[in-house]
Amino acid sequence: MSELLASIEGSALAVWTRESTSIWAYPTILTLHTVGLAIVAGISAVVDARLLGLARQVPIAALGPLFRILWWGFALNFLTGVVLFTADATTKSSQTTFWIKIGLIALALVVTQRVSRLVHGDDAPDGRGRLLAVLSLVLWTAAIIAGRLLAYV
Amino acid sequence: METTTLVEWLKASSASAWINERTWVWPLAEILHFIGLSLLVGATGFFDLRLMGFFRRVSIMAAKALMPLALIGFAINVLTGVVFLVGLPEQYAHNRMFWWKVAFIAVAGVNAAFFETRLAARVAVLDADADPPRTVKLVGAVSLVAWLAVLYCGRMLPFLGDAY
Repeated sequence: MSELLASIEGSALAVWTRESTSIWAYPTILTLHTVGLAIVAGISAVVDARLLGLARQVPIAALGPLFRILWWGFALNFLTGVVLFTADATTKSSQTTFWIKIGLIALALVVTQRVSRLVHGDDAPDGRGRLLAVLSLVLWTAAIIAGRLLAYV
Repeated sequence: METTTLVEWLKASSASAWINERTWVWPLAEILHFIGLSLLVGATGFFDLRLMGFFRRVSIMAAKALMPLALIGFAINVLTGVVFLVGLPEQYAHNRMFWWKVAFIAVAGVNAAFFETRLAARVAVLDADADPPRTVKLVGAVSLVAWLAVLYCGRMLPFLGDAY
């Protein structure tokens, strides 16, 4: 396992990301990761707030196309996240906080998928809609917290 | 007051010392700043896209009802931004990316004020699913670009700036 991680960390992409002084390397990848986070967590928050009763004049079904943007944002974060991981694979994979973050994202994705199905399906936010909205808010917030704390652990 | 004098005054302040003496203040402020930026970009982005003519099944006024989320996000980020600024004033005051960030916030602010004072009343009487007038679309686009530029300048500040 440690050999695998070391070879990942020694790959050309990882070395470039970590060591290049180019503004297009680490700084830009990190910035794109933040843009993706804003898209994913931001759109989720908007949909969740609507499910919880804010802006009732907005038809829930009309929010459906937002999920296409959300999944593009997530794709951006998956790609930039993988690159950021390769650059620091040994350290990251030994950090509990990192695995907590990955676990929270996995759970948040399941919930977001459910929210998406609800938005695309019916128009009446029942108790299940509100529960999913709260779970989504809690999980994405927790993922942001874990991600931010990675800079400190 | 000159910038340097202000920086020195902030650096010597007890508020600055309070922030720097506690190891949890900076990480907490950063976490909140990221949550705030998500709320701001998410809600504003949706409204901007509507102004630009997307999501026409939602009327502009209905989309605007989600904007309190953006205002909460903005308030969180102003407060936490002040914490950063008071904590390490010299890190920002001489950093060109910081001033670009402030400039883009100003652009977004003037743009929003223009919408509120000159366009909001006209938009309110449009048909719910109407294609917005060109000026309204432009205001939406300016807002979207300005806020993404604010995010870019903030995130790139440690790398493109010159104060580290």
